Amino acid sequence: MKSTSSSLVSCSALVVALLMFVSHAASSQTARDTIVLGRQLVIDHACAGCHGGLNPIANVKWLAGRQSPLQDFYIGACTPVAPNAKPCFLTRPRNITPDNATGIGRFSERQIFNALRFGLRPGETPDVTITSMTPGQGNFPANPRYLAPPMPWPEWRYMSDRELWAIAAYLKRGVKPVTNKVEDSEGPPDFWASAYTPAELGPYPMPPFPMASEQEPASK
Amino acid sequence: MIYPERPTLMRRASRSCVACIGVAASLMVSARTVRGQHAAQDRANAVSASAVRTGAPDTLRQPPILRNLSRKRGTVEVELTASVVRLALKPGAPTEAFAFNGSVPGPTIDVHEGDRVIVHFRNDLPEPTTIHWHGLHIPADMDGSPLAPIAPGARYDYVFTIKRGTAGTYWYHPHPDMRSGYQIAKGLFGAFIVRAADDPLKSVPEKLLILSDNRFRADGTVDFAEPRSSEGMRDEVNGREGDLLFVNGQLAPSLRIRSGQLQRWRVINVAASRVFRLALDNHRLLHVGSDGGLFERPVEVGQIDLANSERVELLVRGTGAPGERALLRAMPYDRYVPQTRPADWQTPRDLLTLAYSPAPRVRATAVPTTLRRIAPLDTLKATATHVIVLSQGLINGRMMDMHRVDEHASLGATEIWQVENLVGMDHPFHLHGFQFQVIDRAGVPEPFPSWKDVVNVRKHEIVRIIVRYDDFPGLWMYHCHILDHEDHGMMGVLEVRSPPPPPRELP
Repeated sequence: MKSTSSSLVSCSALVVALLMFVSHAASSQTARDTIVLGRQLVIDHACAGCHGGLNPIANVKWLAGRQSPLQDFYIGACTPVAPNAKPCFLTRPRNITPDNATGIGRFSERQIFNALRFGLRPGETPDVTITSMTPGQGNFPANPRYLAPPMPWPEWRYMSDRELWAIAAYLKRGVKPVTNKVEDSEGPPDFWASAYTPAELGPYPMPPFPMASEQEPASK
Repeated sequence: MIYPERPTLMRRASRSCVACIGVAASLMVSARTVRGQHAAQDRANAVSASAVRTGAPDTLRQPPILRNLSRKRGTVEVELTASVVRLALKPGAPTEAFAFNGSVPGPTIDVHEGDRVIVHFRNDLPEPTTIHWHGLHIPADMDGSPLAPIAPGARYDYVFTIKRGTAGTYWYHPHPDMRSGYQIAKGLFGAFIVRAADDPLKSVPEKLLILSDNRFRADGTVDFAEPRSSEGMRDEVNGREGDLLFVNGQLAPSLRIRSGQLQRWRVINVAASRVFRLALDNHRLLHVGSDGGLFERPVEVGQIDLANSERVELLVRGTGAPGERALLRAMPYDRYVPQTRPADWQTPRDLLTLAYSPAPRVRATAVPTTLRRIAPLDTLKATATHVIVLSQGLINGRMMDMHRVDEHASLGATEIWQVENLVGMDHPFHLHGFQFQVIDRAGVPEPFPSWKDVVNVRKHEIVRIIVRYDDFPGLWMYHCHILDHEDHGMMGVLEVRSPPPPPRELP
């Protein structure tokens, strides 16, 4: 069983890598289309809901990250009304405009892709194509450092490669840089590795349809 | 200074390290007579001796000066052995430690510009090691980098000549692949002082302060965290920190000064990761030098940040009244990511008590306004810029590979290194072999030129430095000097190549 699943993983990783290559190559030809697609995804996934700007996009703080303490998330036992309960980690929406010093300007699009697909903090993960879904296997870091919750990458990793590359392209090339320094999020010393174990995250790619809670639609 | 409970190296100790068994005072005398040329130190000791009678405590010991075996003028020939010893790194709790010539800190190597230095090194440790002469501008094969490990039981002679103009405070420590943090925490570090014949502060009494930290298990053994534990992860992120702070291996010693007296302190931070933000109660400090020696002129400051492996030279003016006390403290400094910031990081820590003797004030010594000339390296002459991106544990997205050259340069070239810190914690950046100058930090020009070999690149900061490879082709390391980061591969290799010979003229 174990070997089947691991070969499945490595097989799917190969496919992933191949798709990445194909979509990456294509993106250079239709850069603008890709960026416009990325823009649509950033808007319809409500990235700005946390990362700032809300509607309209004309807002100068578009995607510039935390502006006020009201935007902090309380992760753990604490809440805004019970801030002393432990454990307590304040996490903060990062500036995701391409500003070099305070945003994501110095990360490559691949590092942004790796953040969205694998949840890996871009500043602390090598700029490489990740070849596995399991820590320690392939070049998935053995001690992965994950983005702080509630960034919903565990769900968004199911987005297609094309979509994730498009988001990365839009953030890197389609948005104006804004200088807004956001302090790093707090978190446990393992950078959430014990919270995002493969068991917790569930299978990738998605399990076949239908699962126990699902059903085949009745055929007409 | 820490002395072994039972000296295991008696034979060697008797030849080259009288201090290991001796009393500090008698040691100082013997070291002094051998060298016979450190007038400043003599005066400092004379002051100490007179104060013994007057009662102010003066417990800070100075590491022994390594005995010069050569009688030849301009040659310093010494023996250095790294071995396993039993001594109390933590006072009162003798344990297994590593030591150079049996003492922690190791003996001070004290030389002059122009000296030929021969270090007969023997590795009596059960594991490979090297000695890296941190900051010295010497040939690449003498640098003690991880490329040249010395096997257990093996000997190696480090031989190099000290260049003119390089007077300053340096230090030596092991630099083996993946084990530097371990070996230094076990006790392997020492000072290396280079003196100039025309030192403008020659007459000022001098003290060496080697700052370190460490932590221990209940039985006194050095506490290294299990890699997978929460503490281990904290060490990996922050770099290992100790809860006990030492000066010359002593906890909270006192240093005597006389009211009105001027003292020169050479301060070395040998801690694995801790940044010491130094402040002396009721005193303003005169900052007179950094890694590569004196500034052009003294700068008065309230406090000084000393990142790991950086050095400073200070002038402490005895502005206090007879009988007064002042604490030298490590003030809070936030170098951490919030995830692993220690709970007590905001607590100031006491390092040392400056104890004024009851003797009446002496007339203050005048401080020279000009110390030396430092020619700024010309950015217009820079022929290349190396962009070095530091992220957590990585440089330019890669881990150290000893078989890979990451950066190339030509001998004689002047180049800029743009060091960008991507992440929310400080990374002190060290380039082996060459002293550099900082151009700017976060776009703010450095106010005056100074020679550095380590620059602390703060959170999300870009620091530009300029370096001239005036001599010594070969392979050189550059790395984060947080030892845990360095050991885990946050390091790269620079190759400095001699330019090809000019084409021969046709007949």
